[in-house]
This record gives sequence, structure tokens and C-alpha cells, in this order.
Amino acid sequence: MGIGVLIVEDEPEFLNRFAQAVRSDANLHLLGAVASGSEAIALLDDRVPDVMLVDLGLPDIDGVQLIRHAAARHPGTDVLVVTMFGDDEHVLASIEAGATGYLLKDTSIERIVASICEIRAGGSPISPTIARKVLGRFRAAPAAAAPALNGGAVGATEASPLSARETDILRLVSKGLSCAEVGQHLSISTHTVVTHVKNIYRKLAVHSRGEAIFEAGQLGLL
Amino acid sequence: MPVVRAWWWAALAALTLFGSLPSAALAGPLMLTEADLLLSDSPTPPPDDAPWQRVSLPDRERRVQPDQGGAAWYRMAFEVPASGAAAAPWAVYLPYFYDGAQLSLNGEPLAHIRGSDAEVRVRWVRPHLVTVPEPLLRPGHNVLRVRATLPEGRALQFPSPAIGTHDELLPLYDRRLFWQRTLPQTAVVLSVLMAAFVLCVWWRRRQEVLYGLLGLAVLLWGIRTLPFVFEQVPTALWALWRAVFFAAQAGFAVVMALFALRFAGLRLHWLERVLWAYWAIGPVVMWAGGPNTEPWIDRVWGAGLIPIGLMVLLLVAWSAWRQRTWQAGTLLAALGLVLVAGFHDYLMVSNVAWATRLAPVWLGHRIYLLHLAANLLLLVMAAILTSRFVQSLNGVEELNLSLERRVADREHQLANQFDAMAQLERDRAAEAERQRIMLDMHDGLGSQLFTSLSRVERGAMAQRDVAELLRDCIAEMRLALDALAPSDDDFRSAFGNFRYRWDAQLDAAGVHASWSIDASDEGLQVPPHQRLELLRVLQEALTNVVKHAHARSVQVRVASRTQGLRFEVQDDGHGLDAARVRTGRGLHNMRARAHRLGAELSVVGAQPGTCVILQLGMPASTAQAAQHPPDAAASLRSR
Repeated sequence: MGIGVLIVEDEPEFLNRFAQAVRSDANLHLLGAVASGSEAIALLDDRVPDVMLVDLGLPDIDGVQLIRHAAARHPGTDVLVVTMFGDDEHVLASIEAGATGYLLKDTSIERIVASICEIRAGGSPISPTIARKVLGRFRAAPAAAAPALNGGAVGATEASPLSARETDILRLVSKGLSCAEVGQHLSISTHTVVTHVKNIYRKLAVHSRGEAIFEAGQLGLL
Repeated sequence: MPVVRAWWWAALAALTLFGSLPSAALAGPLMLTEADLLLSDSPTPPPDDAPWQRVSLPDRERRVQPDQGGAAWYRMAFEVPASGAAAAPWAVYLPYFYDGAQLSLNGEPLAHIRGSDAEVRVRWVRPHLVTVPEPLLRPGHNVLRVRATLPEGRALQFPSPAIGTHDELLPLYDRRLFWQRTLPQTAVVLSVLMAAFVLCVWWRRRQEVLYGLLGLAVLLWGIRTLPFVFEQVPTALWALWRAVFFAAQAGFAVVMALFALRFAGLRLHWLERVLWAYWAIGPVVMWAGGPNTEPWIDRVWGAGLIPIGLMVLLLVAWSAWRQRTWQAGTLLAALGLVLVAGFHDYLMVSNVAWATRLAPVWLGHRIYLLHLAANLLLLVMAAILTSRFVQSLNGVEELNLSLERRVADREHQLANQFDAMAQLERDRAAEAERQRIMLDMHDGLGSQLFTSLSRVERGAMAQRDVAELLRDCIAEMRLALDALAPSDDDFRSAFGNFRYRWDAQLDAAGVHASWSIDASDEGLQVPPHQRLELLRVLQEALTNVVKHAHARSVQVRVASRTQGLRFEVQDDGHGLDAARVRTGRGLHNMRARAHRLGAELSVVGAQPGTCVILQLGMPASTAQAAQHPPDAAASLRSR
């Protein structure tokens, strides 16, 4: 059967490029290639993609919303955000919405295929910028979520959902080490490193949903 | 309010002072108002058939007559009721007796008051109370005899004696003793202390002439009051003693006049000189003329002080009218009292006929009022100067407060100005940064795109070249984003991103990359404006490795040393040929950028390959960092 891929991209040039990449590999098969959020939502109703490539700048729906929808609807689907430079706030917002990876727009066709396969194999890419932002998110979040707690730094580490290993990985990545180097440094395989990264992304998404629920509770919506 | 209170106190003081005095005249004891007088030197009582003459008491103006010797006998008869004699003890009260005397009752010696002799001159200020031994007093008719020594140079003042029980007379005696002797004694001590204090103040603040005059007035008044303290003076010093007394008294009046002039704000030098000259006349005349000039001094020269006093009064009245302050008003009132008292004392001492006729009883008591009024005046003057002193202290405090306020205001202004300047500085730094980025885009990406567009349009570029060019442009943009990323607060982050990206790129190009960073997080510091340029040099070096060197591996080494940061990019390719080193655009660019960074770029041949070394001087970078205050750098990053 192979890996079912759904592409959501409003620019025909890149839509074609991604589609071409999917078609180029026998292990992948194109479930759909749409140019708008509404089409994607409609498609998600009767198909379950394994991997979804989402561009954030859609004409009708905010890409982050679409990711949230897809993650809620099909938790097993891996969402890759398509990004120009891979270091903007949108990537982090997408990960918080449920994306587990990102794809640079100028990535070569071979790399696109490899990225799709890697994410399916359980790993996620991560750049130093994103690692730093995730670290920052988890450092700042407990204080914001539980302002009544005056546990200080100890309370913050205790409240962080990241394991010590995951925190180490983020710290090393944020210094510019590649996943392979991080693996060497921590005496684990590169594969384990990228799996950890994927777990971190999931935790971030869960965490952000928790925050959303907390905020909704605060607002009296729940 | 203080005005009212001051007047109230003055009124109370006057009531206490004068309200109590008339009671001496209204007392119950027997007042002897008539006596038989005989001028005789005889040490024993003259016989009854001697030529006694009847005089009324008090007897004034009894002087030494050349032919009749230096003593006068007074004989006074009085009746004691039969019942009264038993109510012992009785006493004789002489409200004053300035000279020596011998008293006898019914022929028996009663008391001896020491008089002037060869050794001492006396002038008793105190009253005399003589207790009568019980057997001496007879019910019915009694005779009191007094042998009084006539003083030299002035008249004998013989009072009207009072006879009564000791208990009746004692309060009269005590009261007079207090007012006429104890109070002046106290006044002398206080005057000396106060004069010392005020003159010390003036000594340190010469411009406060009023303080100096007050001190002088107080001192003179203290000296003038000395005869009330020392009633016996060695004869040798007597003339000097009297001269000092008159000099002090007249000096007090003159100083008061000067005080009034200054108080009124007048500086009349000629008048001041006239006053001092008048003052000098008395002591000079006394010194030249001897003791016999004393009556003249008392009557004539002393009288001259009255117009001076009047002038003082007018001056103070005038300034009180102009100033309308409680100080001026109180001073006027006190001065008025002093003048009245002084006039009263003058009339009393000089035995002016009309005055004696007008109030014979009161003047007979011979109560000196001037020193009481003068004490009051001195107190008022001290109060005025004290209030001035307090006012000036308050003024200084207020001035200090207002100065403090002004300093605080100015500090606040300065702080604001400094803030504004810091803001301006930040704005300028931001503006410079913006300029730099624009210039950068214009010279870098911009010119690259324009040149390429031109070449593509004339078909001079193969598709592969175009793709490569565009990748270069994207890489350039990524680099700029790395270096300028708003959330990245240091070079470490930018360098991390750079490394991450190039790792992937080198890997894709089949070049094995190894990175070694021998620098602490703190050591890896590059000021914001140098980051982009620095990364560009490194990017250029790596691009050369990928494009031209045909290397299998590349080593990127970063080391932080005391002299600065050192970057090395070493490949194992086939090295640069000399022509490329000289003419290559890439190398040229690298050198230019290194120059702009103030860094040193060297390209050396390695075995095998090439090593590009960039030495970034730490002094320059830290100096640059020091020029940017931390908050300015923060504002640049947060834009």
C-alpha cells in the first residue's frame, strides 16, 4: 500500500514539485493535492493520509487551524509544515497545533522523499532555532499556566513535561549540533535522537492543548 | 497672636510690680512723719533745751554745714498703746538709710548702722529693720533718737521711720529688700551672662550691629547696677566708683539711642558722634572735678540724658509706625516705661520742688524704678533679637528646603534629559542598523539579482547556473535571517543555525564536515553589527570548499583566545592556485568583508588543501560592544 500523502499547497509550482516527489518514489502514493484549506478538510473526511504536507499561507483557512483539525481528526497522521526558512514562529505554532515536522520549500526532490520516509519511520527534523524556542516554551509555560505556584526554578523543572534526556537533546541541538553529533555526544543512535524530537513535538502539542483548555477554563468557556 | 500675648505679659508684670508697692504706704504700722532736728556733732544726745527745730519727714536736702560739723540729731516721739507693748516683739523700720547712723530708744542704744569713714564709703541700698528689745519699749510715750552722719558731697536723705510689731514690718522690709536689692543683684548676674553671650554672637557676626549694641547696653546696665550689689567701697576707689556708675548709666542711654537709630534703619554718623561726645563729658568732668561735681553731674548732665531718651522714644515710635510689627510696638512700650521711670528717678533724686509737693509720700519712699523698667527693656530687646535670630534660622531652613527642591527638580530634569539622550542614542543605533541592512541588501542580494537578471535576459546563463544563482540568493537570505533573527540574542545562536544549515548542505555535497568549537558560551561573543559580515566570510569560505576545492572533508574550527576569536576553515581539496588567490572575486569579497570587520584574513596552503583563517581582534569587538549600552543592543534585537 505504501505511504499515503496529502499535499495542501496553494502555489501550483510547489504543488507540482511536491506531487512529483511523491510520485517519484514507489513507497509513496498521492492521496490528494489540493490548493485550499476547505478542499483539504473535505478530503480529510473520507481519507486518512499517513503524511500531510501543509503550506501555512492558504487563501481560505489559516494553515495552523487546518493542522489542528487534521491532528484531532486523524491522530495517526504526520503533518509536515512547508516553510520558507524553517525558523519562523509559524513552525512552532504548527508544531503546537500538532505538526511533527517541517519541510523547507527549496528542499530537493530526493530530500522531500527522504523527509517523508523519515517522519513515517518515527523521526522528526529540528533546527537550533526551533530547539531553542521549544526549550523556552517549556521554561516559560509552567509559570504562565500556574501563576499561583511560587515554586521558582525547581517548580519549573518539575512541572516541565520533558524528560532529562529530551532536555539535553534540545540543548545540544540549540547549540548547532546535528542529530548525528547529538547522538554521538549522548551515546545513542541518530534514529533515537530524531524519535525523541518527535516525542518532544507531541508533548508540545499536548502541552499547548492543555494550555488552551486552561485558558478556556479561565475564560469560563468550559 | 504673639502681639496680644506680649502685651498681656507686660500688663501682668506691671500689675505685679506696681500693685504691690503702694501697700507699703497703706500698712498698719505707725509712720513717724515729724521729728525734732538738731545739727550737732555730739556723740551723746543733746539736751532737750538745745535749739531743736521741728521738721517733717522724710527730710531731704540736709547737708553738711561748714560750722556745724558732720552729724544731725533727729528726735521722734511716739505713743505705744498699753496693750500693744505686750504684743512683742516690736521693731523700727527704715525703708532706706544710705549713710551711717546710731539709733537709741528712750535713751538706750538700739542699733548702729555703719557709716563712711577713712577706710570705706558706704551707701546702703538695703532697708533696715531693727528689732526693739522688749524692756526698752514703754507703754505710752517713747522717744526714738537717731544720730545721722551727714554724707560728703550730697544731701542726707532721712526717711519716715515706721514703728510696729516685727511681724507687721517684716513683709515691708522683705518686699523692699527684694525689689531694691535682690532683684538688681540678680539683674547684674544675668546682665553679665547675657552680655557675654550676645557679644560672642556679635563677635562671630560683626555685620549684626544690633547684637553688638544690645550686648553693650546689657553690659553697661550691669555695671550701672553694681552699686545695688556693693554697698561698701574702699574710700580710695570711691570717686572712680561713682564715675563708673554715671558713665555706665549715660552710656546705656547713648547705646540705646544708637540701637534705636539702627532699629529705625537710620545711619546718622554725626548724630552718633554727638551722642558719644555727650556721653564722654560726664566721666571727664567727674575725673577732673572730683567728688564735689557729683550733684552737678546728677542734675545737669543726667538731665541731658532725658532728651536723648526722648529722641530714642521718637525714633522707636516712628519705626513702630512704619514697621507695624509687634517687635517695634513692644520696644516702644518698654522704652516709654523706661523713660517714665527714668524721669521719675530723676525727680526723686534731684528733689525737684514741684514734684515733691505733688507726691510727697511716694517720693518719700525713694523707690528707684529705672532699673526695673530697664530690665524689662533689656528683656524686650533680647526677645526681639531672639525672634530675629529664629526668623533668620527659619529663613535659612526654608532656603535650604527650596534649594533641595530645586536640586531635586534639576536632578529629575537631568534624568529625563539623560533618558531622552539614551533614547536618541538607541534610535540612532537603530537607524544605523537599518541603514547598514539596506546597504547590505542593495550591494549583496540586490546587485546579484540585477546582474543575473541581465544575464538571463540576454540568454547568457544556463539553467543550471540560474538555479545555482538562486540558491546562492536564498542562502544569502538565510544567512541574513540567521544573523538578524529577532529572538536570537547572541552570536552563538546565529552560529548554531549556520552550522546546522551547512552541515546539511555539506553532507548533500558529499563533503564530510567536522566542527570544533573551543570557546565557552561567553567567549563566543560578536557584536550584532559584525555577525552578518562574519558569517558571510565563513559562508564564502565554505562555498569555495563545495564549489572549487573538490574536497572530501572540511574542518571548521572556532577558538576563543585572549587576543580574540579565531575561525579556521580547512579543506583537503586540491588547493587554490596563485592566479585565483589574486584575482578571484570570492576571495576579494572575503578580504573586503574582513577589512570591514577589522579582522585579519589569511589564506594559506595546507598539505593537502587550503586553510582560511579569520582572526577577529577581541579588543575591537569588545570596544564595539562597550560602545553599545546593553539596552540599546536589546532594542536593536527586538526590532
